[in-house]
Amino acid sequence: MLKISQALLHRLGGMVIVLALVVTVVFIIVRVTPGDPAAVMLGSDATPEDIAQLRAKMGLDAPLIAQYAQFVLGILKGDLGQSIFLGQPVAQALAERAEPTFFLTLFSILIAVVIALPVGIFSAVKRGTPFDQVVVTLTMVAASIPSFWLGLMLIQVFAVGQGWFPASGYGGPDTSFVERLNHLVLPAAALGIVNSALITRFTRAAMLDVLGEDYVRTARAKGAGEGRVILKHALKNALIPIITVIGLSIAMLVAGAVVTETVFGLPGIGNLVVSAVLRRDYPVIQGTLLVVAAIYVLINFVVDMLYMIVDPRVRQ
Amino acid sequence: MMRKTLLVASCAAALAGFTSPTAAEARSDGVLTVATVGEPPTLDAMQTPTDIVLTIDQHIFETLFTYDAEWKSVPLLAAAMPEVSEDGLTYRIGLREGVKFHDGSAFDSEDVVASLSRWMSVNSKGKQVASVVESVAKDGEHAIVIKLKSRYAPLLATLSQASIIIPSEKVADTLTDFIGTGPYALKERKPDQYTQLVRFEAYKSPEGEASNYAGKREAIAKEIRFVPVPDANTRVEGLISGQFDYADALPVSAFERVEASDSAGPVIFENAGWASLNMNMKEGVLTKKALRQAVQVALNPSDMMLAAFSDERFFSVDGSIFPEGFLWHTEEGIARYGEGDPEAAAALIEEGGYDGTPIRLLTSRQYEFHYKIGEVAKAYLGAAGFKVDLEVVDWATLTTRRADPKQWDIFITHSNFPGDPTTINTITDSYPGWYVSDQKAKAVAAYMAAADQDQKIKAWQGIQAVIYDDAPLVKVGNFNALAGVSKSIPDYTPTYWPHFWNVTPKK
Repeated sequence: MLKISQALLHRLGGMVIVLALVVTVVFIIVRVTPGDPAAVMLGSDATPEDIAQLRAKMGLDAPLIAQYAQFVLGILKGDLGQSIFLGQPVAQALAERAEPTFFLTLFSILIAVVIALPVGIFSAVKRGTPFDQVVVTLTMVAASIPSFWLGLMLIQVFAVGQGWFPASGYGGPDTSFVERLNHLVLPAAALGIVNSALITRFTRAAMLDVLGEDYVRTARAKGAGEGRVILKHALKNALIPIITVIGLSIAMLVAGAVVTETVFGLPGIGNLVVSAVLRRDYPVIQGTLLVVAAIYVLINFVVDMLYMIVDPRVRQ
Repeated sequence: MMRKTLLVASCAAALAGFTSPTAAEARSDGVLTVATVGEPPTLDAMQTPTDIVLTIDQHIFETLFTYDAEWKSVPLLAAAMPEVSEDGLTYRIGLREGVKFHDGSAFDSEDVVASLSRWMSVNSKGKQVASVVESVAKDGEHAIVIKLKSRYAPLLATLSQASIIIPSEKVADTLTDFIGTGPYALKERKPDQYTQLVRFEAYKSPEGEASNYAGKREAIAKEIRFVPVPDANTRVEGLISGQFDYADALPVSAFERVEASDSAGPVIFENAGWASLNMNMKEGVLTKKALRQAVQVALNPSDMMLAAFSDERFFSVDGSIFPEGFLWHTEEGIARYGEGDPEAAAALIEEGGYDGTPIRLLTSRQYEFHYKIGEVAKAYLGAAGFKVDLEVVDWATLTTRRADPKQWDIFITHSNFPGDPTTINTITDSYPGWYVSDQKAKAVAAYMAAADQDQKIKAWQGIQAVIYDDAPLVKVGNFNALAGVSKSIPDYTPTYWPHFWNVTPKK
C-alpha cells in the first residue's frame, strides 16, 4: 500500500514539473513566433503607429519577463488571462467550448471501442482466415485515411445527399441539447472510424501475443469454454497495451481533433486553438495549451492507475 | 467582459405600430443563416474595419453617408448632402429626424459629434481626417458642422465607412454595448458559434430606391445569423445541403458544383478587389526607382491572375487601378503594365545598377491566390535577371514583418475598391512601403483641393500617372468574388460587403 502511495506521489510530482515546463515553453514559443495580435486585429489597413498604439493598450509592449511573471501569477491564482479577441476570460472561452469537445471525444471513443474490441479479438482468434485478412487490410486503409477527408465524404453522403445530419456547426441560439448532439454524429463517426483502425490493430496484436501463452492452453485443457478462455484469460492479460492505446486516443482527441473540428465548424477546443494561433491570441494559446497538457498528463496518470488495477505485477 | 447578450426588446413593442402596411406585409418570420469565413475579432468597426466586421456591423450600425451603386457617397443618417461653404472648409450636415437607437434613445447631433470624435482617435482613416479637421460641433439637435483646416475632397467617402454612429453615452475607449440605428440589432454573440441579429421593429429607413448600400432598407427576415465556417469546402456543402442560406467567399473550384445544385446557385460579385505587389521604398534593393520599374515591366499580370484564379470568369487584367465601369477608371500612365517584357526589364535592371542581392518576396498561403501570384512573379522576375527569395509565411507573420523595412522588399496583398481613390493604402506615407515622393504629394494636394467631381477625376488621373512613374506597387489584376445563395431566396442582390436587409428568407 505504501508503495502505491509513493508511486502516486511520484507521479503527481512529475505532473507538476511537466505542467511548469509546458507553461514556460508555451510562453516562449508564442512570443518568439512572428506575428502580432494587434496587427491581426486592426486588419491590413492599419499603420505601424496604430499597431504600436494597440500593442501598448494590450500591455504587449511590457518587458517579456514582466509578461511572463504576470502569466505565472495569474495561473497560481487560477486566472488564465483574458482573450484579446474574444473579449472574455480564457477560462470562460474554454468552458464554452468544452461541451462539444467532451461529447465529440466521448462519442468518437465509444464508436472506436465498440468497433475495435470485438473485431480485434475475433480477428486474432481467427488468425489467418479470410476474415482476419480483410480486417488487417481494412484497418490499414482506415488508419491511413485523413480524418478531414473522411469527414468531407460523410458530409457529402449523409448531410448533402441524405439530409440526415447537419453539415457543420453546433446549432443556433434555439437549438436543444439533443439537436446539438446531432451535430456531432458525423464528426464523431469520422474520428471514431479512424481511431477504431488503430485500436483494432493493437487489440489484435495484443491478443495474438497472449493466445499462444501456456496459461491459455492450460485453461483450455481444464475444459474452460472458449468464450471464458478468450475474455477472462486472454483478454484480461492483453488489456495493458489496449488501455494504453485507448488512453492515448482519448488524449489526442481532446487536444488534437483540430482538423475535424475545423472541417465541421465545431466550436470546440481544437478550433479555439487554431483560431487563437492564427490570430496570435497569446492568452488563449497559453491557457488552452496548459489545460490540454493538464488533461493529457491526467489521462496518462489514469492509464497508469488502470495498469495497477488490471495487472497485479505493476502493483508490486 | 460579457459580450454575450444584448437584448433589444425595450422599444420594439411600443414602436411597432409605426410600420406601414406594405412593410408589414413584406416582413417574414424566417431566419437567414449566413456562413462567413470566420469569427469577427470584434464588432467595433471603428477600431477594426475589416471586411468580416463591416459585413456584420452594417446591419447594426449606420454612418452619416453610404455608397450607392456608383460608389458615390449619398446620405444615410444625414438628411441630405452637406452644405459646403465656398472655400470648401465648412460642411454643415443636417441629420434625419425620428431615427432611434436600438436601446430606444433618440439619435441626434450629440451622438454624431461623440461618435466622430472617437472615430478620429481610433480609426486609421479617421486619424487621417483628424489631421485636417479643426472642429466638429453641434448645430442644434439635428445638424453638425465640420470645420476643416484645409480642403479635403475624400471627407464624405471617409464618412461612409466605419465611421459608425453610436449613442453618445455608449462612447468609450473599448466598446462594450453594440447599439446602433441599423435595421437589425445585436441579440447574442457566441464567439466561433454565431452572431445573432434580430429585426429592429422601430427602424426608420432612408428614402429612395435601394442602390448598393443606399436607399430603402427593410428588415424582412426576423433574424439573421452569421455563422463562422472557416473551412471553404464545408461552406459549400452546408449551402448545398440547405443548412445555410448564403455562403460567403467560396473557392472558384466550387463554382460548377454549386451551379449544378438544385438547392443553391452561385453569385459572382465582379471586381470585388485587386491584387498588388507592394514594394519597399524605404530600405533595400528596391529603393532605386529604376529597379521598381524593372519589376513592373518584368511581370505578366495575365499569367499571375490565371495561376491565382484558374478561370477567366473570376478575374480581369486591367492596368487602371480602378476597373472599367468605375467613376475613377483611367488609363493614365499605365504604359509599363503589360505582358511581361524581360528585355525591357533587364535594361532597367542595368540602369538601376542591380548588384544581385536577392529580392525578398513575402507572401502568405492564408490567401492562396497571394501565394500563386508570388510563384509566378518569382519566375518572371528570375527571367528578367532578379534573384528572388520567396518567403511564404502566415498572414499574421507577414503583417508583422512588413512593418519593419529591414525585413522585406516586396509583399503581396489585396484591397477592395474604395469610394474615394485617395483612401487607397499605398497613398498613405506611413503604409508599409513608405511611399513618399514630391510628385505624389503634389498630385494628392491637387486632388484634395478639387472643388467638384470633374476636378477630382482629373486630379486622380494625375495621381495614377505618378503612381505608375514612382512604382510603389505593381497592380496585378482585378478579381471577382464567388458566393452562393439558396434558390429559395428570390431577392438577394450582391454587394461587396454582403447585406441582408431587403432579403426575403425561405418560408
